[in-house]
Amino acid sequence: MTRADKAQLRQVRTAILGNRPDTSLSSTLYPVYVALIVTGSYGVPAAQQLFRSIDHQWLADHVWTSSGAVGAAILTALLLALVRLVGRVRGPVVPPLPYLDLVVASPMPRKVTLARNWRLSLGGSILGGLLVGTSVGAGLAIAKVAPPIVLLSTSVGGSLLGVLVAELWLQGQLQGSELGLRAESSLQGRRRNALALLDITGLRRQAASNVTMGGAALSGDLRTARLDAVRPPTHARRVRLKSSGPLTVFARRDLLGLRRAPGATLSGLGFAAAGSAGLMLSLQSPRTPTMAPLLSLVLCHLGFGAWCEGLRLHADNSGTSRLLGLPYRDTALAHLAVPVVAWVLTTIVVGAALSLVGMVGPTAVVWSLGTGALLAGTHLMAAFRGLPPIGVFGPKAGVPAMIFWYAKPILATLVVGTATAAWAARAASPWIAFFWLLIATAGVIAWGLALVAKRDRRD
Amino acid sequence: MGVGKKIDEAVLLLPTDVNVGPGECVVLRGPNGSGKTTMLRILAGTLPPSEGEATLDGSPVDERHDLTRTAIAALVGAPATYRDLTLVDHLVLIDSTWGHVGERADDRAEEMLEQLEINHLEERFPHELSSGQQQLFHLAMVLVRPSSILILDEPEQRLDPDKRDLLTQILLDRKAVGTSLLIACHDPAMTEALADTVVDIRLE
Repeated sequence: MTRADKAQLRQVRTAILGNRPDTSLSSTLYPVYVALIVTGSYGVPAAQQLFRSIDHQWLADHVWTSSGAVGAAILTALLLALVRLVGRVRGPVVPPLPYLDLVVASPMPRKVTLARNWRLSLGGSILGGLLVGTSVGAGLAIAKVAPPIVLLSTSVGGSLLGVLVAELWLQGQLQGSELGLRAESSLQGRRRNALALLDITGLRRQAASNVTMGGAALSGDLRTARLDAVRPPTHARRVRLKSSGPLTVFARRDLLGLRRAPGATLSGLGFAAAGSAGLMLSLQSPRTPTMAPLLSLVLCHLGFGAWCEGLRLHADNSGTSRLLGLPYRDTALAHLAVPVVAWVLTTIVVGAALSLVGMVGPTAVVWSLGTGALLAGTHLMAAFRGLPPIGVFGPKAGVPAMIFWYAKPILATLVVGTATAAWAARAASPWIAFFWLLIATAGVIAWGLALVAKRDRRD
Repeated sequence: MGVGKKIDEAVLLLPTDVNVGPGECVVLRGPNGSGKTTMLRILAGTLPPSEGEATLDGSPVDERHDLTRTAIAALVGAPATYRDLTLVDHLVLIDSTWGHVGERADDRAEEMLEQLEINHLEERFPHELSSGQQQLFHLAMVLVRPSSILILDEPEQRLDPDKRDLLTQILLDRKAVGTSLLIACHDPAMTEALADTVVDIRLE
């Protein structure tokens, strides 16, 4: 940035601020201060407790090994791939709409007008990585799982990961640009400066989406947030829906929907396969930390959910003129057929592969199949939860009440799934725990169906 | 006495009497806010009246009852669409849920799109349509399903004059085969062509 650029940007900022004092430094430092306090007060103690609770022998056998390192590398690669995908929807450089229209759209160099937003995101990402690395390192050292020197490597590693995350996040935003970059473009010479390549249409789209999603999140309108975040499908338009019986046609519809959203289909498959494998493996030893089934169930929930778009779209349509010949409840249940079958097939394939190498037995496969019913129930709850009750917006409720309302379905998956899996891993016979998994699942499905009936009555 | 709708002190619809027989068309007219849409929702069985009762062959109209759903096809507000299905897929899905299976469903879907002159859009997704095309698509979804009563709220909105004429002709054909029509309409030419009875809904 040249001296003239700096002077021009200063003038712009003066014009934007008018007579108001410049609070940009304090508003930048305040979140840093809060993050430091939260890390010190909660992050380090939580990490320490986590490492104390995990059996050291289990850690030595599973984590501090070459396969543990490969697992960590795979997880990091998945995280980075996810960050790049997120960048397409919400990148690191998204100034407010008026600033975009009045300043970024002007002839001033884009790398100058967008530099401040990029520096904030880059700084935030590095700080986030540093704090996570510090928490993990401090937790390991205090719990005496590793020598104190580990703090240095985790902090440096976390910071470097932060830089990588920010760069890939920006690359994702650039990739989401509708203009693209043709070979003959004069902008080719600026390829090394991604900020100069961001186009105003893409920036405006993300800024507008930011406002929509912010409003949707505050009002608990998950439908608006979801539809805004995911681009509408345009694939496989020539493939036709084949007519069939009233119930079968919904399964065909959902299969066609998944074919037209290959990203959701494959991510669902990846999450479901990893989650079911983790869940089955976590049942094999009483020394497995409870964190293992918990994290596996998060993946299971995400994977199953990726296949449930038909169910969610049906719930979205509640209250509109009905044109389908099936009752509302039956349509909802018909939309569960594809995700349930996909789960069963994934579990059987993953379970068979793990059985072949002697890592799990048939009990674990049956357990994972039973978990599919739990996931069907919690996704029924998630799709038909509707808008949050008025009480959530009351002065006494606040953000925690809203988060709890959002998280009820996944909490149901995690609480029921983790408690019964941990019980099964530690019990002499897993079947009593499995019986209780089924009982709790029946309760969750009944809860989901009650929400469907509630939406049906609301029309 | 007719049906009316009040919510607390707010009057959404003054008591209004409407009767429609097979092959007849009743057009509701009235200024904005007079309650035409409320009346249509009551008649479609999606909103209970606070006064009077809407009946179909002597039984109360309730959208949750199979009989009501089988008889009445309504376009009151934008209908449900799946954003991952094309136009022709929507019509096949609707037809299949009403028990029509096989090539006949595909043919019916294509015929309906052709009738409304939007067959060239059959492979588009709903979000790829203009507002007028969306209105035609919504009409296609309502018209493709079997029904003996059609309830349409301002079906002429966002349509150009040629398409309004086309729609009028389609509705006249439906009348001729015995379908009852209940329509809220602001187009004098359409009203003139279709209405056997015109009901003016009062604001006060």
